Amino acid sequence: MMQDTLRTQKINKGWKLFSYAFLIFFTFLTLGPLIWMTYSSFKLNGEIMMYPLALPKHATLANYARAIEFGNLFSAFKNSIVYSAVSTCLTVLFSLSAGFALTKFGYKSSKFYMGTFTLGLLITVNSVITPLFIMEINTGLYNTHLGVILPYIAFGLPMAILIASSFIRGIPDALIEAALIDGAKYGYIFFTIILMISTPVMATISVLTFLSNWNEFLLVFTLTSGEAMRSLPVTVNSFAGRLNQDYGLQFSALVIATIPMFVFYVIAHNSLVKGFGEGAIKE
Amino acid sequence: MVQDKSKHRAYLSLLLPAFLVYVLIILYPILMSLGLSFTKWRHFKMVGFVGLENYVAILTDPSFQKSMWNNVQIMLVSVLGQIPLGIMLAYLIFRQWVKHTKFFEMMIFLPITISSVVVALLWNRVFSPVGIYTSLIRTITDNPDYVVKIFENRTFAMVPILVVLLWQHTSLYMVIFLANLQRIPESVFEAATLDGAKEFTIIRSIVLPQLANVIFTCSVLAISGSLKSFDLVFAMTSGGPVDYTSVMALYLYKQTFTFNNYGYGSAVSIIIVLLSVGLITFVRYVYAKAQRKYE
Repeated sequence: MMQDTLRTQKINKGWKLFSYAFLIFFTFLTLGPLIWMTYSSFKLNGEIMMYPLALPKHATLANYARAIEFGNLFSAFKNSIVYSAVSTCLTVLFSLSAGFALTKFGYKSSKFYMGTFTLGLLITVNSVITPLFIMEINTGLYNTHLGVILPYIAFGLPMAILIASSFIRGIPDALIEAALIDGAKYGYIFFTIILMISTPVMATISVLTFLSNWNEFLLVFTLTSGEAMRSLPVTVNSFAGRLNQDYGLQFSALVIATIPMFVFYVIAHNSLVKGFGEGAIKE
Repeated sequence: MVQDKSKHRAYLSLLLPAFLVYVLIILYPILMSLGLSFTKWRHFKMVGFVGLENYVAILTDPSFQKSMWNNVQIMLVSVLGQIPLGIMLAYLIFRQWVKHTKFFEMMIFLPITISSVVVALLWNRVFSPVGIYTSLIRTITDNPDYVVKIFENRTFAMVPILVVLLWQHTSLYMVIFLANLQRIPESVFEAATLDGAKEFTIIRSIVLPQLANVIFTCSVLAISGSLKSFDLVFAMTSGGPVDYTSVMALYLYKQTFTFNNYGYGSAVSIIIVLLSVGLITFVRYVYAKAQRKYE
């Protein structure tokens, strides 16, 4: 017995060492480039060229001043907020109402609708981008906020409806029946009961949808043309893209583009982990 | 009767907002794409039906074949690189051999929030003559003139992109596997350790079978994800030099938005959809077969 525990301890020691080495290495690999990007953004281009890895000797905010002045980053930030926030709110609302309809009404057609939505998980932006572009040109939606928000909602819905349905299915029927007997309408039940109970799943859906919309690139890139309509990733790409040779300027633009999401990550970390973790279980 | 009618009306009005947006933006365009794929365009105008001509032209275009092969490389790295690494990271964190697991998990998961464009431009700098990677190699090999030339090598041009993909997405799988590991009852591990089971035995006969389902789901995620990869490649190399790092989505983008070849572009998108449905059906088939054998 004594020997056994000793042996286990020995084995554990090996694994412990290995775990530390591996996890520290991976953390370093993850953070290294980000830290380098951040402190390099306080160096002027010349200093970066001469001493690429050194910490800034003459730390300066000049890069940031120029990035903000010429990069149009502020208007891009506003657009990103509009695109992501509006589409996320509507995706949450639509997916919960559809989830309610599909799980609590008992109609046969529910199965068909559910299947159609699930099919959407396999369809990517690439596969509709050409016709969508032609449609938006013809209807005048091209280069408008709505022209980006609608596709964001559509592509967010399949996953959101799956998550919403599996949650709402678990709400006791008795709750809804009691409200119906009291004379409540279905719309009233949705807004007062279903939405109230569904707050945890609302958080999960919002966080996942907001994240993917905020970082989306192709739709904004192809369905808008003017600087005034661009989102943050598209603006950063055109302003600080790979052909830009002013490294200092580029780093500061990248840092500015990362900060909002970093804040988001710190706030929403737990919901994100929960959302991604459980999302894959449900499928 | 009246009750039924109002119930059905409520059902439809709850369902329709989602369904209409979905039909308008996804289903209708997919069908339109299928129709367009049989047409030819010149100067922003359709000039007639050409049957399967677009498909034949695409499949015989060496540039498309190169793009497809690059997608295959991305797929291999996703399934055989990101998933095993994700399992390993999740397991090391799950077993709590180290302190501050929460810290490690939080730091390693961080890239998930950073947009692909930022990731691409940052790593371009890492590999640039003034980047971390270049500087490190210069110091190690004592060769101050070293520069990264792998992008110009037709066979290996994808390697830097594959590295970045590993960096960016591995943590997603880590989080998924971690959530599922935490569902295995603690007592299972305690019993196994008391029985003197070696760690590798625990991994092989307890952990991996428990995760089989999730590994399958993640493979589906990884395959469909790798077929649609666009942002990262676009921002990092735009497919260049020539078509060395092109992927199918980039090929599609160029046909549609650079050459305004809407029919041809639509045919490419239909091919991508068919490939993704086909591959996922195949994985599902293999998984079902393996499961039957296992039981």
